[in-house]
Amino acid sequence: MSAATRVATPRKTSKGPWLRAWERFRSNGAALAGLAILVPILIAVSSYPLWWPYAPNDIDLRALNQAPGAVHWFGTDGVGRDILARLLQGGRISLTVAIVSVAISIVIGFLVGAIASFGGKVVDNGVMRLVDLAMTLPPVIFLLVLASIAGTGVMPTIVVISLLSWPVLSRMVRARLMELRERDFVVAARGMGASMPHLLFRHGLPNCIDILVVYATLQIANAILLEAGLSFLGLGIAPPEASWGNMLNAARSTIVLEQYVWQWMFPGGALVLTVLAINFLGDGLRDAFDPRSDLN
Amino acid sequence: MTLKAITRSVAIAALLGATALTMPAIAQAQSTITGGFDVGPGGFQGNFNPLAATGGLTWLSVYFEPLVIYNAELTALQGSLASEWTVSEDLREITFTLAEETWHDGEAFTSADVKFTLELAKNAATGSVFSARLNSISSIEAPDDRTVVLKLSAPDSGLLSTLSQVMILPQHALADIAPEAIATSTWWATSPIGTGPFKFTQYVTDQYVELAADEDYRLGRPVTDRVINRYFDNSAAAVSALRAGEIDFTYVESDDAKTFDGSADFRVIEGASFVVNYVGFNHMVDLWDDVRVRQAFMYAIDRDAIIESLYGGAATAANCGYIAPQLVPSDIEPYAYDPEKARALLAEAGWAEINGDKPITWLTYYNTPLAANVMAAAQAMLAQVGINVVPRVVDTPTYNGIVYKEGNPDWNAFPLVYAGLQNGPNPAGINVGLNESQLPPNGANIMRVQSRPLSAAFDAALGETDAAQADARWQNVCRVMNEELPWATMWVANRYGVASNDLVDFVWTPAPAGGPFASHPEKWAKSE
Amino acid sequence: MTTFITRRLAIGLVMLLALSVLVFILLRLAPGDPIDAYVNPTSPLSPEAMQALRERLGLDAPLPVQYFGWLRTAITGDLGYSIQRVGVPVLPLVMERIGPTLLLMAAGLIIAIVVGVAGGIISAVRRNSPTDIGFSVVAFIGISSPAFLTALLGLYFFSVQLRWAPSGGMLTPGMGFSMSDLLAHLILPACLLSIGHAALIMRYMRASLLEVLNQDYVRTARAKGVREFFVIVKHAVRNALLPVITLIGSTIGIAVGGAIFIESVFNWPGMGLLLVNAVETRDYPVIMGATLVIGACVIVVNLLTDITYAAVDPRIQVA
Repeated sequence: MSAATRVATPRKTSKGPWLRAWERFRSNGAALAGLAILVPILIAVSSYPLWWPYAPNDIDLRALNQAPGAVHWFGTDGVGRDILARLLQGGRISLTVAIVSVAISIVIGFLVGAIASFGGKVVDNGVMRLVDLAMTLPPVIFLLVLASIAGTGVMPTIVVISLLSWPVLSRMVRARLMELRERDFVVAARGMGASMPHLLFRHGLPNCIDILVVYATLQIANAILLEAGLSFLGLGIAPPEASWGNMLNAARSTIVLEQYVWQWMFPGGALVLTVLAINFLGDGLRDAFDPRSDLN
Repeated sequence: MTLKAITRSVAIAALLGATALTMPAIAQAQSTITGGFDVGPGGFQGNFNPLAATGGLTWLSVYFEPLVIYNAELTALQGSLASEWTVSEDLREITFTLAEETWHDGEAFTSADVKFTLELAKNAATGSVFSARLNSISSIEAPDDRTVVLKLSAPDSGLLSTLSQVMILPQHALADIAPEAIATSTWWATSPIGTGPFKFTQYVTDQYVELAADEDYRLGRPVTDRVINRYFDNSAAAVSALRAGEIDFTYVESDDAKTFDGSADFRVIEGASFVVNYVGFNHMVDLWDDVRVRQAFMYAIDRDAIIESLYGGAATAANCGYIAPQLVPSDIEPYAYDPEKARALLAEAGWAEINGDKPITWLTYYNTPLAANVMAAAQAMLAQVGINVVPRVVDTPTYNGIVYKEGNPDWNAFPLVYAGLQNGPNPAGINVGLNESQLPPNGANIMRVQSRPLSAAFDAALGETDAAQADARWQNVCRVMNEELPWATMWVANRYGVASNDLVDFVWTPAPAGGPFASHPEKWAKSE
Repeated sequence: MTTFITRRLAIGLVMLLALSVLVFILLRLAPGDPIDAYVNPTSPLSPEAMQALRERLGLDAPLPVQYFGWLRTAITGDLGYSIQRVGVPVLPLVMERIGPTLLLMAAGLIIAIVVGVAGGIISAVRRNSPTDIGFSVVAFIGISSPAFLTALLGLYFFSVQLRWAPSGGMLTPGMGFSMSDLLAHLILPACLLSIGHAALIMRYMRASLLEVLNQDYVRTARAKGVREFFVIVKHAVRNALLPVITLIGSTIGIAVGGAIFIESVFNWPGMGLLLVNAVETRDYPVIMGATLVIGACVIVVNLLTDITYAAVDPRIQVA
């Protein structure tokens, strides 16, 4: 990748763009705070079976709706499951769904955008009308209908979220690569009969890697919120599988909202904190990749 | 740590900075009762056509009326528009004597209206959901204005129960509409007329329906001037409105009912749901061929613990399709919780070879938090004895689409279901899901139960002409179900409504499909 | 300009057609049909009876026949009847919902613009001050909170506990229309709806204003001794608003679709709630009709945004 980067960007005698981006990132307090929040959450979520005695689906009918205490730190839910264990398992699911769906939407978004910009006028027109169509379709309808086709569960939710979020990205990729298309080295490469994969991965990818990184980060935050929203509508991750969204869904019941506050406040807090941290991080990355931000 | 305390502190803080919104002054000259009458499983918001009513009959019976109606305890039928009725010796003829009443537009109600309505209800072209259930009626005669005679092709013990849901419609208003066009007529939601204590005034699409007192109702002018049925997207929204004092009554989920316990402002109304919940075995899947496997389900699930802790005691364990004392023989197997026995039965049946610990999809359309908790508990209990079930919650259309799929359904999409079926007030209700004669496409025996003894027991009960013998016949159905276990029967849960204490003489019960039942809306009153 | 608009409208029509095909196909792929949604599993109908109902509604015909049948009447402006609400025609039903949705969205957006732009300007002017950091943190929390959670909590605090505002709906049933009643129902959902937008607008406004403040003409104005207040208001804010207008434009297009979470929690009779219910009950004609109406609005609004954009920024030429 570093070789490709060098092809795409004129060599500078001073520090490389990645290094400068890192320096800008390092001086951004909010971004570092985001990282400081996110890393412990990720560690806790991925390692919890090693240090927490309760499993997320262990029920205990003698300990229903217990308030937070020494045994169950974050209390228990309506069937006596440990909230902390479900919170951590839910985090695993929510984050997995978010990361995988964003990865898929990035692949689709990049390929569509890049093919549109390198494929000639006819391909471009056709592909972009398709993107327009996807963006004209009311997101509400798309979301609801897609979710009812796909059903509930981890895989369907991933499919729904990734299909919903690629069109915007493909537009951004295309806009970036359209400038590039007419540049000498790309024209030369095409003249020499370079294949589409060559164009895509040697010239296209390195030139929009910054968009992809920033978009990915911010989109992960959105995907977490989207998963929560889907589960709220009963379309996302279905119980007994835990996710932050369906744990929050418990707050619909008045008794939980009012008397079993811990059942929604902890997942709600975890969700907001994680999304906040990712947004900080994404903002920091955007500034870091934006050369103009040095001027500010 | 309760939200109330937090609210209070937030409120004080907010009051310092913001000025409160003044609510519009409520200047009502007329007395009005507002409720969420179509919230919950018995409701059917947006349906105004009684011929298409698979629910919502509590509300429809405020302005329409059937010939006969269940009493508020749902134990017996009583007259409504028919002041009395007689059934002939051979059970093939029913004679109704009609009450004196006028339609809301002043026209007289006569036997011609009854004949007209029943013919519409029998005609599938109208989109009537009753056509199949009224099949036994061979002729409808109206010898005079106040008499209707039904002739039956065969005795039908469920007919009067079905008739209690058929709202009588005005011939003079509907006769000009072709049967095919009746379902899409705008009459239902704009200018319907009935015979009930209240008459229709307006419907504000998807928000509320408003009725006004019928001055010359035969049982007396209603005490309240207006009744309003407000629509809610879900019961949680209705509960918020109830607690905010905007409505006087709504159905509530059992969890929410607990928040009203001991409240001075509200009265919690509890009643049996008349829906038996069961774990259904798909008999086209060879996992369940051995009765010992099915018995293992009964022993493995600690129904008493689930009822005690999750339902808060508000459910009754069912050892067959019924829980009504007169329908349940005293000597049937109670299937008390015994995981050891369940393991032993599974071992005898060779469960390790049949399935072992491979996951089995457990399909349901129940999407309430309570149902999710119940299924999680049952899943954990079944796992203890070595049965690995995985709950799959889908919405109702998806569920019906799977289990009713025509031609060649994918049996493996629903090897096991968690569902409910109406088992009362008429015990014949579960026949449609268990009798061999009800296999699709003839009936709704979706789990493809094909048990000769059970079908014979049902047929005997349905054909019993001696009312005194009927209970014994239904007891026999219960006994066979208890032995054969076509389903693992779980329980019949209670359902709840909450009414403001301002309401006087308000009658409501959580009847299946909303009843109807004799709620006497003309007596409802609201003290200010 | 005229040719530009004509061409865009022609493309729009083709898009609508493609949209209707797409939604039609998607709907038939979803499991269960309107009749399946209609039957309560606890008091079931026989498959025979269900089939009769399907035949009556024409749901048993081959798919192309169904689609072209729908298209033929749709062209004449007749979008058919709702299946769930028997006898209610689709077009008035959908049109009735646009008003409430736009009202809610407009109120939410106005609050968001006022709060967002003001907050953004203050943040940018006092860059890196405690005020700026405070505003930014609040904005980030606003962006990071799930809409349904803030809606649920807002409902609980302000309606159920404090009783400052009604718990839902748009008008008090049976009271007749009054402006104060409408506003009382509107204010809470609109405020909760504005949180996310306000936060986003504030972030955009701040970033865009900071950029403008660094540009030559602003420096020149400053150097010429123009008072800072005028520099910001007259020169900077006007230019900084451009990207914010684009953002708001894209929001308006989506806005017609309604805010499902707020509408669902507050029982607001808007487009979002209509659609959620229609999908839950597989009410094909309503979903198709609503898609068409919303799609048309999105296309028109996008066109208007482009024209407005051209009007505000003379550098952009529409061709």
